Amino acid sequence: MQIRDTKEIYQQLKKARIKILVPLIFSTITSYFCFIWVIAFNSKFFGTLIFDTNISIGIFLGFLLILLIFLITLIYVYLANKILEPLINKIQKNA
Amino acid sequence: MHKLILLLGLLFSNLLFASTVDGEPNYTAVIMFVLFVGVTLFITYWASKKTHTAKSFYTAGGDITGLQNGLAISGDFMSAASFLGISGLVYLSGFDGLIYSIGFLIGWPIILLLIAEPLRNLGKYSFSDVVSFRLKQKPIRILAACGSLSTVILYLIAQMVGAGKLIEILFGLPYYSAVMIVGGLMISYVTFGGMLATTWVQIIKAVLLLSGATLMAFLVLYQFEFNINQFFSEAVNIHSKGKNIMAPGGLISDPVSAISLGLALMFGTAGLPHILMRFFTVPDAVEARKSVVYATGFIGYFYILTFIIGFGAIVLVSNNPEYLNDSGALIGNNNMAAIHLSHAVGGDILLGFISAVAFATILAVVSGLTLAGASAISHDLYANAFLTGKNNEKMEMKVSKLATIFLGVLAVFLGILFEEQNVAFMVGLAFAIAATTNFPILILSIYWKNLTTRGAVIGGSAGLLIAILLVILGPVVWVDIFGNNEAIFPYKYPALFSMIVTFIGIWFFSKTDKTKTSIVEKKLFESQYFRSQTGVGIDKSNAH
Repeated sequence: MQIRDTKEIYQQLKKARIKILVPLIFSTITSYFCFIWVIAFNSKFFGTLIFDTNISIGIFLGFLLILLIFLITLIYVYLANKILEPLINKIQKNA
Repeated sequence: MHKLILLLGLLFSNLLFASTVDGEPNYTAVIMFVLFVGVTLFITYWASKKTHTAKSFYTAGGDITGLQNGLAISGDFMSAASFLGISGLVYLSGFDGLIYSIGFLIGWPIILLLIAEPLRNLGKYSFSDVVSFRLKQKPIRILAACGSLSTVILYLIAQMVGAGKLIEILFGLPYYSAVMIVGGLMISYVTFGGMLATTWVQIIKAVLLLSGATLMAFLVLYQFEFNINQFFSEAVNIHSKGKNIMAPGGLISDPVSAISLGLALMFGTAGLPHILMRFFTVPDAVEARKSVVYATGFIGYFYILTFIIGFGAIVLVSNNPEYLNDSGALIGNNNMAAIHLSHAVGGDILLGFISAVAFATILAVVSGLTLAGASAISHDLYANAFLTGKNNEKMEMKVSKLATIFLGVLAVFLGILFEEQNVAFMVGLAFAIAATTNFPILILSIYWKNLTTRGAVIGGSAGLLIAILLVILGPVVWVDIFGNNEAIFPYKYPALFSMIVTFIGIWFFSKTDKTKTSIVEKKLFESQYFRSQTGVGIDKSNAH
């Protein structure tokens, strides 16, 4: 009974983890390579100033990317603690 | 302990003669520095009483909290090279500094999402524990140790040379004795205090560096009444490159280099042995997760600060003759931008504080590196590759301490040998090797069922050799150091090519592996994966 339980929860855990990981990994990698890509191909665009300030789009987006990276780690930990951790705890108790 | 006292005496006598940039001794720097060394040696003494087992030597007993580990990880990452180097790069060309900062940061979500938890659930002391979990111990350990040691030694050389130069300028000590002081202190931290002392040295330094950098950025922005727009326009007006400092410059100019550098930074971080080792100091996967979030937050915040500091130096240092030599360049070199800025905004006291913090940073980072290198020698090579089966913890401890002393002496020797060389490429090469060898074998061993020993060893070592070869044949070594006219391999960054070699090699030689052991290795994957995801079976107990 317990073994079967564990197997089921484990399948749930695997599915839940993939659902959380795929979008987060995708956004990490694409945002970074888009950033690098613009630098390699269209660096002038990053030099454009925003409205009537002296801050360029590149610097603005760079800072935004730093925030995004931190945000991704926060989102993951929030979801992991809320969704994955209860499943892991159940499996550990059964073991 | 006698050696420690002797060393302290040597330090004091050296510092009495120490002087700063302008020839006058900076007492704040000397007092701060002596205080730091005193406190850290006291911690080492305290830690040495607790460091009797291999577990405590490699993992500080495994009960470091998520926040502490987050600080220690960020301490490992915020080296003097990134503090002074990135702010110097921003000072020189503005925006380009941000490319490096983001590249160094982007590896962290990858570590968190794919590596931190399985690493903690499968390993004991080092990442090779994870790779050899179901593969054959001996060949895998040797390969992982080669990857670790080459990363650690390249990184150490770069830090040592940087340290020697920095201390030479800051405290007026001769290069040789500066390198030797760093080597001596690092050997004592690691041999006597192991991971516990190294972690606390790292935490103290991280707190000092974050507060110092925060204070500097605050004082800079204060002068502009926190008007960011005015701050940037002032920098554009003053800098010789004018508006161009707000846009990408010459750091990356073609798409191949862009992707190659991007890959090395992104996945190299996830293959640095001294960083990976930190995940074994926390009790479980939950704390491992937490520590990455803290670390990412601290490191991201730190890079924002270095950017402000770099621009601050453009505005407040680059037009002040006090900090320039006769030809109009910064005294020292561009890497001194942050140091000069600390004097410009906070006088002798802040200069002293920041100089001492920079020195503390170097000490902490080389200690972490040395410990990771020593564990590759004692835990991977000695205990698990050559002494297979015979579990002799006492001997392993002895070997690890000898390995620390050996690596420390080697670092001092190489630091002196490479004094006049351009070592900037070494950190890049270390990242390339980490991304090419350590990262692929680690990630595939966790997630790819069909990985076999043969595939990992052939693919991993082929990638390692290609990475080194391409750097030697590339523009940095072949043209700049060997003085040839044209590079045989046209790109500065090898990671794109060497990573392809590794992955194809591992895939091909694993897929075609039909030996009996490979069938067993594939069978073991399911139970390994179960443990990596759930943590069932890990040793949580902290034996004190």
